[in-house]
Amino acid sequence: MTEKSYDVVIVGAGIAGAIVAKTLTQAGYSVLLLEAGLQAGMAFEDPKAYENYQSYLNNYYNALAKVPNAPYPNLQDAPSPNVLDLSPIQGTTPDTTGYFVQKGPLPFASDYARTPGGTTLHWLGTCLRMLPNDFRLKTVYGHGVDWPISYEELKPYYEMAEREIGVSANVEEQVYPNTGEGFFGEDYVFPMHKIPQSYLDQKFTEGVQGMKVGVGGDDIELYVTSTPQGRNSIPNHRYKLTGPVWDPYTNKLVLERSEQASYEPVGSIWDPYTGQRCEGNASCVPICPVQAKYNALKTIKRARRENLDIVTQAVASKIEVDPTTGRVKAISYKKYHDPGSPEHTTETARGTVFAIAAHSVENAKMLLASGVANSSNQVGRNLMDHMVFLTWGLMPERVYPYRGPGSTSNLPVFRDGDFRKRHAAFIMPIDNWGFGWPTGAPYSSLSAAVNQMNLFGKQLRKHIDETVSRQLLLHFECEQLPQSENRVTIDPQYTDPLGNFRPVIQYNVSDYTRAAMAVAKNISNQIFARIGIQDQTQYNPTDSDYLTYDGVGYTFWGAGHLVGTHRMGLTRHDSVVNSQQRTWDHENLFLVGCGNMPTIGTSNPTLTMAALSFWAAENILRDLK
Amino acid sequence: MSEGPPNIPEAARIKTVASLKRHLQTAIELEHSTIPPYLCALYSIKDGDNLPSSQIVRSVAVEEMLHMILAANVLNAIGGEPSINHPRFIPEYPTYLPHSDRSFKVGLEKFSKATVNTFLKIEMPAEPKSPPEPNRYHTIGQFYEAIEDALKRLSRDKDIFTGERDRQITPESYYGGGGGVLAVHDLDSALQALGEIVGQGEGVSRTIFDGDHRIFGEKVEYAHYFRYNEIHEGRYYTKRDTPKGGPTGKPLPVAWDNVYNMRPNPKMKDYPRGSERWEKSYEFNRTYMALLNDLHRAFNGQPKRLLTSVVTMYEVKYQAVELMRIPVNEEGMTAGPSFEYVPPDR
Repeated sequence: MTEKSYDVVIVGAGIAGAIVAKTLTQAGYSVLLLEAGLQAGMAFEDPKAYENYQSYLNNYYNALAKVPNAPYPNLQDAPSPNVLDLSPIQGTTPDTTGYFVQKGPLPFASDYARTPGGTTLHWLGTCLRMLPNDFRLKTVYGHGVDWPISYEELKPYYEMAEREIGVSANVEEQVYPNTGEGFFGEDYVFPMHKIPQSYLDQKFTEGVQGMKVGVGGDDIELYVTSTPQGRNSIPNHRYKLTGPVWDPYTNKLVLERSEQASYEPVGSIWDPYTGQRCEGNASCVPICPVQAKYNALKTIKRARRENLDIVTQAVASKIEVDPTTGRVKAISYKKYHDPGSPEHTTETARGTVFAIAAHSVENAKMLLASGVANSSNQVGRNLMDHMVFLTWGLMPERVYPYRGPGSTSNLPVFRDGDFRKRHAAFIMPIDNWGFGWPTGAPYSSLSAAVNQMNLFGKQLRKHIDETVSRQLLLHFECEQLPQSENRVTIDPQYTDPLGNFRPVIQYNVSDYTRAAMAVAKNISNQIFARIGIQDQTQYNPTDSDYLTYDGVGYTFWGAGHLVGTHRMGLTRHDSVVNSQQRTWDHENLFLVGCGNMPTIGTSNPTLTMAALSFWAAENILRDLK
Repeated sequence: MSEGPPNIPEAARIKTVASLKRHLQTAIELEHSTIPPYLCALYSIKDGDNLPSSQIVRSVAVEEMLHMILAANVLNAIGGEPSINHPRFIPEYPTYLPHSDRSFKVGLEKFSKATVNTFLKIEMPAEPKSPPEPNRYHTIGQFYEAIEDALKRLSRDKDIFTGERDRQITPESYYGGGGGVLAVHDLDSALQALGEIVGQGEGVSRTIFDGDHRIFGEKVEYAHYFRYNEIHEGRYYTKRDTPKGGPTGKPLPVAWDNVYNMRPNPKMKDYPRGSERWEKSYEFNRTYMALLNDLHRAFNGQPKRLLTSVVTMYEVKYQAVELMRIPVNEEGMTAGPSFEYVPPDR
C-alpha cells in the first residue's frame, strides 16, 4: 500500500468521503479511502454485508438504552462519543468519562459514529435545504458570518445531493419563509414522492389550523408541511435526472436530463429488493432494519471499484507537509488488527490530492495534531450544533405515536424572519416517537405505571393504552451561532490507546440561542392550550444540559449536527478553507464535511454537506485535469 | 415465452372473448395458488438463518404477486372483472394446480428438500414438443401460450382492449422483486405482460435467464425454476451455465434443519372450535381474507388500495410466524397458517 501513489487520498468513509470517492472513481481517477472503523462494516455483498448488518441490529435489540450509537461497535482504537456519557460538568474539572474530554461549562451533547458508512447509519434522514438568508446571516441580520457562496450557487449541488441520497418529498409542499422566487428550479421534482405524513401529524395539523401565535408583539400564523426525507418511497415518474457526471469540456459536474430516465429506489446493500420502500419500522435512529433509509455504504457501493482501494481499521493521525512547497505529501495512519489492543503499525498513504472527510471533530483534531492549515487560528473553533429543545404532553385523543419514521412533518415558520436580529431561528419538527427522547418512553411509561402507580393486569393495560397512545413530542431545533470559544482542542494529557488525541471540548450556549428557547416554550404553551394538550414537560437542574434564561430553566438535547470546526470563508484570516473547500494554507489539501459550514441555519446539515461534497469533488476534478 | 409459431392444437384453442376472460381469471388464481405454499416455506425459515434460500423463496413469491397483477391487468384490459375474494379463490391444500395435468399436488409445508422438489415441478419449463391436451396443460407455460394465441387471434378482427385505463395497476405500485408492472392497453403490452410472467417463471428461450433485463434493464436474474434449483443443488448458477448442465458456481449453503417444524397442510378443523389455536388460525384467515378483499378492490377500480394493503401483508407474515411457534404434537411439530376461506362475519 505504501508504494502506490493515488490521485486522491480520502480520509473517512462517511457520506462526505463516499461522495468524493464515488465521483472521482467514476471520473476515472484512482482513490485510496482510509477508514478508522472495522473491516466487517465495509462488506458490500451478501452474505457478509447482511451478516454484519444483522449484528448491528442484534446489538440494537439487546441494548437497554437505544441511543444513536447503540448498534455500532465502540472501538478502543477508534472511539466514538456516546450520549450516555453525558452528565453536568462540576466546576472547572473536565469530565473525562467518555471519549470527549468535556470542559464545559455545558457538556457537548452530540455524538457521531466511527464506522464504515459513518453517522449516516444512525441519522434520521431529514433532508432540508438551507434558506437563502442562512448564507448571509451577517449582512441581513447582523449576526454570525456570511458564507463565501450563495444559495443560488449551491442549488445545482443540492439537486445532486437529493439524487444521491434519494430524497422523498413533494416539491409543491416545500414552502419556507423568505425564499423568494425559484428556490427550487423550474419543473424540479424530488426523485420520490413524499413519505406519508403520520396520523399524529394530521391530528396536530387539524389542531393548529389557522392558528396565530403571539411572538414579540407580532401574530404569526402557523402552518405545517411535509418533511423531505432520505428514505425510499414511490418514485416520481416526472423525475428525469441522472448522474452527476463530470463534463471535462465545461469543467463541471452535471446532472443530465433524459426523457427515458426513471428513478429506481436504492435498496439495501445486501439485496436490492430489500428496503425499496420505507416500511415504517420506526427505529430510523439508531438503525433502519431494511436500509430503506439512505446510508453512505450505498454510495461507496456505487463507486467504480477498480479505481478504489479501501483500507479499514486505519486511523489517520498525521498530515505531512513538504515545508518548502507547503503541499501535503502524505498522510500517516495507524493500522490496527485488534480494535481492543493498542498494537498497530504506522503506514503512509501517498497521493496528489488529499481530502479529509473524517467528521468535523475528527478533522479538526487531525489538523491540530499535524499543525497544518491553521494560519487563521480557526481550526477547532466555532463548533456548533442545533439545540434540541423539547416539549411534551398528552393529546386529548389517541394519536398513535411510535409508528413510522421519527418525524414526517414540520412547522417552518420560524426558520427565517426579522426576529433573527434578536434571537435564534428554529424549525419545529413534529415527532412521531412519543416521549421517547426526553423520558425513555414507552419503557419508562410502563415502569412508572408499575412501580409508582402500582398498576397491574387490566388496569395497567388500560392506563398504557390511554396514555402512551396520546403522547405528543414537539421539537424545536434552535440555531447556534459561530463562537470562537466553542471549540475542539487537543491536549497531550488526553490520548486514546493508539496514542491519538481525544477531542477536548469547550462549549456553551449564548443568550441569542437561549432567548429562542424562551420564545419556543411560549409558542409551545400557546399550542398546547389551543389543542388541549396536557403539558408533561419537565426540565430539571440535574439534566446534563440544563441552562437558564431570564431566571427560567430550560433543558436542551444534542441534535448530532456537528458543524463549523474548520469553516470556509472569504479570507484566509478568518477561515480555514476557501469557497472551493480547499485549505488556504495547502494547495492540495481539501477538507470535506460539516466542519466547513460557517453557520448552521435550521436545516439538518447532512444534505448541505452532501451538496458541498459534490462541490468539493468538482474542484478536485479541476485540479486533477 | 417460446419462440416460433404457436404450438396449440385446434381443440385446445380459446375461441371466444368470454372464454379468454375465464382463462385470465384462472391465470390469476393459478398465480395466486402458488403463493400460500411459497409463503409457508418462506415463513418457516427462521429469521436470520438460511439467508440465500429465504431470499430466493421470497423473491419468487413476490414475483408471483407481480404475475397476479399482470394477469389482472390483461383481464382488465379486455373488459373483464377480476374476482379475488370469492369463496373458491383459495384452493384447498394440498391441491392440483388449476389447468394442470394432475401429475402432482401442491401443499402447505415447511421449507424442506421435498418442498423445493415440488416447487421445481411447479416452475418447470415447457418441453418444446409437448402440445397441450384440450383444457389440460402440461405446464404453466403452455397454458399461457394458449392465452397468447387467443389474444392475437381474437384481436385480429375487432378491438378487444376495451377496458377502462384507470383500472390498470401502474408500475409505481410494485417493488421488492424483479421485473415490473406494465399497464396493459393493447396487444403489444398484453403480450409483453404475459411474456414477463412466463419468462420469470420458466426462463427465456430455453436459457436460465428470466428476461427482465431485456425489458427493464435490470441485472441478470435467473428464472424461478433455476433459482429453486440453486437451493436444490446447494450451488449457484453462473452466467455461462445452461439448463441441462446445472449450476456450477460457488456453493450455496442450506441449513435444512433451521426451520419451524410446521405440520403439513394445517386446517382450522385440526383444533377444537373456540380453542386458542383455533382462534389464532381463524384470525390469520381473517387477515388473509382482508388482504384478498384489498386486492379485489385494487383490481376493480381502486388501484391505490394495493399500496395500503402492504400493512395487511405484514400482518399476514407476523400472524403466520406466530402460528409456526405454537407446538401441536408430541413430535415437536407446530401449527401454521391454513389459508382457508372465512366469510366476512362469523
